[in-house]
Order: sequence, then structure tokens, then C-alpha cells
Amino acid sequence: MSDFFLTAEAEPDEAVKLALRRIDEAQAAGQGSDVEGLRLNEVVVNMGPQHPSTHGVLRLVVTLDGELIKDVIPVVGYLHRCKEKLAEKRTYFQYIPILDRTEYVAGMNCEWAYVMTVEKLTGIRPTRRAEFIRVIVGELSRIASHLVAVGTFTADLAPLGTAMAFYTFRDRELILDLLEEVSGGRMMYNYLRFGGVRYDLPSGWVEQCRDVMKRMPKLIDEYASLVDDNAIFLQRTVGKGVISQQDVVDYGITGPNARASGVELDLRRTRPYSVYPELDFEVCTAQHGDVFDRYRVRMDEMRQSVRIIEQCLDMLPRGPVQSGSLRAPYVVTPPPGSCYVGQENPRGEYGTYIVSDGSRYPYRLKYRDPCFCNLQLFPKLLRGNKIADAVSISGSMDLVLGGIDR
Amino acid sequence: MDVFLEILRLVVCVIVAYAVVFVAALVNIVFERRFLAFMQDRHGPNRVGPHGIFQSIADAFKMIGKEDFRPAFADRGMFILAPIMVMIGAVAVQLTMPYTKGFTPGDLNVGLIYIVAVTSFTTMAILVGGWASRNKYSLVGALRSAAQMISYEIPMLLAILVIAMVVGSWSLNDVVDAQADYKWIGFYMPFTFLLYAIAAISELNRGPFDLPESESELVSGYGTEYSGMRFGMFFLNEYACMTIMSMVAVTLFFGGWHGPFEDALVIGGVAIVPFIWFMVKTYILVFALVWVRLSLPRLQVDQLMGFAWKILIPLGLLNIALTAAVILWVPHWRWGLLVVGWVSFAAFVGLFDPILKRRLRRQRERLPVVSS
Repeated sequence: MSDFFLTAEAEPDEAVKLALRRIDEAQAAGQGSDVEGLRLNEVVVNMGPQHPSTHGVLRLVVTLDGELIKDVIPVVGYLHRCKEKLAEKRTYFQYIPILDRTEYVAGMNCEWAYVMTVEKLTGIRPTRRAEFIRVIVGELSRIASHLVAVGTFTADLAPLGTAMAFYTFRDRELILDLLEEVSGGRMMYNYLRFGGVRYDLPSGWVEQCRDVMKRMPKLIDEYASLVDDNAIFLQRTVGKGVISQQDVVDYGITGPNARASGVELDLRRTRPYSVYPELDFEVCTAQHGDVFDRYRVRMDEMRQSVRIIEQCLDMLPRGPVQSGSLRAPYVVTPPPGSCYVGQENPRGEYGTYIVSDGSRYPYRLKYRDPCFCNLQLFPKLLRGNKIADAVSISGSMDLVLGGIDR
Repeated sequence: MDVFLEILRLVVCVIVAYAVVFVAALVNIVFERRFLAFMQDRHGPNRVGPHGIFQSIADAFKMIGKEDFRPAFADRGMFILAPIMVMIGAVAVQLTMPYTKGFTPGDLNVGLIYIVAVTSFTTMAILVGGWASRNKYSLVGALRSAAQMISYEIPMLLAILVIAMVVGSWSLNDVVDAQADYKWIGFYMPFTFLLYAIAAISELNRGPFDLPESESELVSGYGTEYSGMRFGMFFLNEYACMTIMSMVAVTLFFGGWHGPFEDALVIGGVAIVPFIWFMVKTYILVFALVWVRLSLPRLQVDQLMGFAWKILIPLGLLNIALTAAVILWVPHWRWGLLVVGWVSFAAFVGLFDPILKRRLRRQRERLPVVSS
């Protein structure tokens, strides 16, 4: 008996201790076991940080009553790398590569958010060609990121999804190849500069990109045909993990997760930046806010991204990709002050807040990471669901722990 | 002396059965990994031997060489017993299998019931292993497994009952004999085969019914605390059972060892060609099993139970009633069964999926639109 049950006092782990204490409180309040004479019918289970289906090192301390989830305590910090503190010891320019490593699935977009913030602080204006290139690589990065999201989410549901994950990762290579040609890196790009981008597009790249964009909608349709009409997939996803619009507002949910609940919140439209006002695209929304809708919104967004990229390739102007002199981006000393710029990352609003004291180093840098805010909803979202749903719901939220833990 | 010889024969048969089980498992593992890799557009194991065919032998040696680890809290005796027990079911079924014309290791006159009885040994081993590990994942996995096996053994038994009614005997040899001249039961009772196949896949704990070890939620279910060769035993058993269940299905539904050129090659009173037919048919079904696993997402535990109790068992009972009625009242009852079997098969296949999808679609339309 004592081998199995640890009391709250004897438990060394703080999160588990909290979970056990909550069980005790619930029992004291008369909401304990429904079986006569049984002291405890709830078990506290660790999902993560080492668990096959937590993406990264998310740890959920789950209180289970049989298959039912009674309580969830997310524990973060296993991937903490002092990203914010590092900014204070580096010049503005030296900090760009670190951005790739915060939310590593869509590094390009993170760089973009930071670069835009510094540009706003200093008043540097990027060239027009650079703006278009930024939109192209940003949207490519968004497609790659959504491919990972959809693939891993379906992989959580089943072996079928494993096949789908392989297909999505296979086709993500097409995009990573494009980004590699342009920047030299597959995940850690270090490509954007204050006032422009590092390199111009290599010759033949535009045609290559057009080619990939021509293939992409067919590939997306292929994924959709694998699962969209599958009865078991629908059973597992329809009506599960519903996020209401009130929750979206209360918890600051952004990105596809918010749009799946019918909130038309897309910073590319609502707080436009770069050349997005000139581009024609739809903000994809759904109505029900369940797991299936979140999956569908991501699929639709990939199609929209393809549209955006094709337009940009058509409109791409000639000219320099770096404003000012070639040395300009390396030494940046913004005037004292502070600034926040949010950017539509594939997972939601990713913004950086920078306080400058007029020196070459940021005085303080703070992120607004979409995953961190989306994670706050987990306890509310998972409570009352089956343990199998916990996996599909957390998969549909698409968390990246690099951004949460920083 | 006769008794001694009989015992000797049985001992040899058991040893051979163990060998067959292990070899079948090793073959299946490589086959499945290669085939999954092919379907998923990747290479799979292709380094050990030509096309990687010795990969699972290499894996087996690796697992034997691993540390014999046992968690401190584990129940020592039961923890060791479970991996030993897990193979019993597979081996015991082998012992009654009519492999070829004139060779059945042990012909039982209650073979059909015996099969259903001994296959639950696997469940017991899983339950024992899951409990003895003293791990929450293991326990939940083991309990899921027990619930699932109990639920799905009933439709399986109902399907087998129909065969006993048609053949008029519980003996596997009689079942095979009744299917001579291509009167394969699977041909005129496809619906019964469908029921059996669904239940059998579930008994095997394979996708889409692989809940006990659903790795995305329970790490690896009952096997979480097992490592090295103890884990290997569970793993081998799962794959051996693929072959065993396919063998049973072939015996019951696809004419066992029957096929053309049955007497072409006879060595020492044992016909070789029928054995080849038997194995060919078996591996066609194994192939189907791998394919099914690859193509379907995993069910959820409540959906799984609902499917067994609300759909499979009523249909199984209905199937029994229909078959009994046809046998009793229709003069040429085999033709009657042919009609009834294919009509119900077509109805199930044609209606079940669209009805389910329509229900889901309607459920989706009826979902409340979230708003503030």
C-alpha cells in the first residue's frame, strides 16, 4: 500500500505535492471517492518531461480518476536557457541568432518580430525589396511550421498519423531547402538584419520557389484526403477541447487557436505590418473551436500562405536588400525609450518588448510568446476529458517549448 | 510404451511450436517494419543482411545482452512470471493447428473452444505484468487490456460458434475437412469472417485497437517497466500472435491447408504442398493486418467498448440467429448461407461507415458555435 501512495508531505516534487494536496482538499470538502471505503481513487500521473507525446519537454502533472482527467498542473522551465537575460549582455546585432532558438520551429518569424522592434526604436526603414523577401521567407516558415504542427498532431492520434507525419516532414524539406538556399541554415537562419536582410535571393530561386508553391496545394489536399473523412479521426477530434471566445479573451489566446473559435484575430490584418496591407489573403476562421477546427484552420492557413507567397513573387521589386550603408545594421544604438511590436507567428502573437537606455545593449528584453499564453488554458481545457483526449488536445494546441521556457 | 511415445511426441511438438512462434515473430517484425517504412516513404531497417532481413535477430541478441533490470517496488515473482506466461497462449494454440494433410500436433475434439480459452493467457500475462510493475502507466494499460479482451472475446466466440453450427463439430480437423473442394467458409459466410477479424485484431492489441500500449498517452502501457529480454518476450509475443491469429483465421475461414496439388509431394506421410498453401494464406492475412494498422487512427477507450458492446455483440447474436434459421429451414442451406452472408456483409460494409460519418457530420453541424 505505502509503495503506491505517497502523502503530500513525503512527496519531494512541488507540482506533485500540489496535486496531492488538491486531492486532499477535495476529499475534505466531501468530493472524494465515490466507492465506499476506498480512501483514494485518484492517481497523480506525470506526463513528461520525458513522454512520447509531449512535444518537447512539457510536463503535465495529471490527476486521474480512472480514465478521466480531474486536474492538470503544467510545469514549465525544463528548457530554460536565459534567453531574456542573454540580451542584456549582447549588442542588438549580436542577439539576432538567439531569436532563432527561442521558438525554433518558426525561427524566421521570431527574428522578424525582434528586427521590427529594433527598427521601430531606431527609426530604420527596411527597403521595399527586403520587405517582400521578409514576407516570403516568413510565410514559407509558417507553412513549414504548420506542417510540423499538423503532422505531429495526427501522429499523436495513431499510426496512420505517423505516416502523415512522415509525409509532412518529407514535404517540409522542400521549404527548408528553399530557406537554406536563401540564408544558409535549415532551422537557425540568422537572416534578417536591421533595415533589410542579409543576402539577396540567389539566382533561380524565384522560379524554384514558384515551383514548390505550385506543388504545395496538391500536397495539402493529399494530407486532407488522408484524415479529413476518416470516421475514427472525426470521432477523436469533433467536439473535443472546445475553447470558447470568452476563454480566448480571458487567457489571451492568439493565432490559429483563437481563429478556430471564430475570433478574427490576425495581426497581419488587425495590426498590419510590412507589406501585408497590399496583399490579398483571407483570415481563416472556424466556428466551433474544437480540436478538428484547430486542425482545419492550420490546413487553410497553409493554402493562404501559398497565395501570399505567389503574390509576393509576382510583385517582387528590384533594388537593394539593405537600407543605408553596408555597415549600418551592425552597430545600432537606439535612443532611450521602450517599444513593443507584435508579429503574427504561426502560433499566435509573438512580440518583443525592448527597453533601451541609449547604449549598444538592450537594457531589458521581454518576449510575449504565444505558446506560453496558450498553455495557461490547459488546466481548464483538459479537465473532465479522457486521458486520450489530453494527447490530442495538447497536440492541437501546437506548443513549442523553446518559446515557453525561453 | 505407447504412452511414452505419445509424451515424447508432444514434447517435440512443444519445442517445435516454440521455435515456430519465435521464427514467425522475428519474420513478422522485419516484415512489418519494412512495409511500414515503404508506406511511409522512408527506408526502414536495411543494413543487417540483404534488405535487413536479419535485423530482428540482431535486435534479439542486443536485448538478451542487456541488463536484467527490475524496479525496486516491483512484485518480484509476478514481475518475472509475466514474460514467461505471455508466450503460453501462442504456443498452446499452435499445438492444435492442422498444418497439413495428416499432420496435427494434437487433435482436440474441442479445438475451437480451446483456442478461445488459451488465447486469454496473453491477457492474464499482461494483467500480471502491469500489476507487478507497480507503475501507473502499466496499471492503466493492463486494466485497459483486460477490459478490451473481455469485451472482444465475446464477438469472437460468437463468430466461432457459427462455424461450429455449420460444421457440426468443435474439432479443427473437422472444420478443415468440411472446407474441402473450395467450399471455404469465408466465401459463403463473409460477414462472420468480418466479425471474427475485427475481434481478432482487437485481441491482438493491434491498431486501431492498440489501446493497452498506446504510446502517445500511456508511454508503452503494461510494458513500461520492462526492459531487455523481458520486454522482448512481450514484443515477440505480439508479433507471434499475428501469425497465430492468421493461422486460426485461415483454418476457420479459408480452407486451412486445402489448395491445388495437395498430394504432389509427400515426405514421410506428411504432405508438403498443403503446408505451403497454409503458410501462404497465413501471410496474406498478416499482410492485411499490417495494412489495417497503418491505415486507421486509434480508437478511444469508450469508443472501443461501445463498438464491442453496442455493435459487434448484437450483430454477432443476429448472425447466429440467422444462420441457425437458414440451417434449420432452408433445404439447400449452404446456398442460403451464401446469400445471407454476402447480403449482410455488403450491408455492414456499405452502411456502417456512411451512417457513422453522417452521424458525426450532423454532430459537427449541431455543435454550438462558440461565442461570448
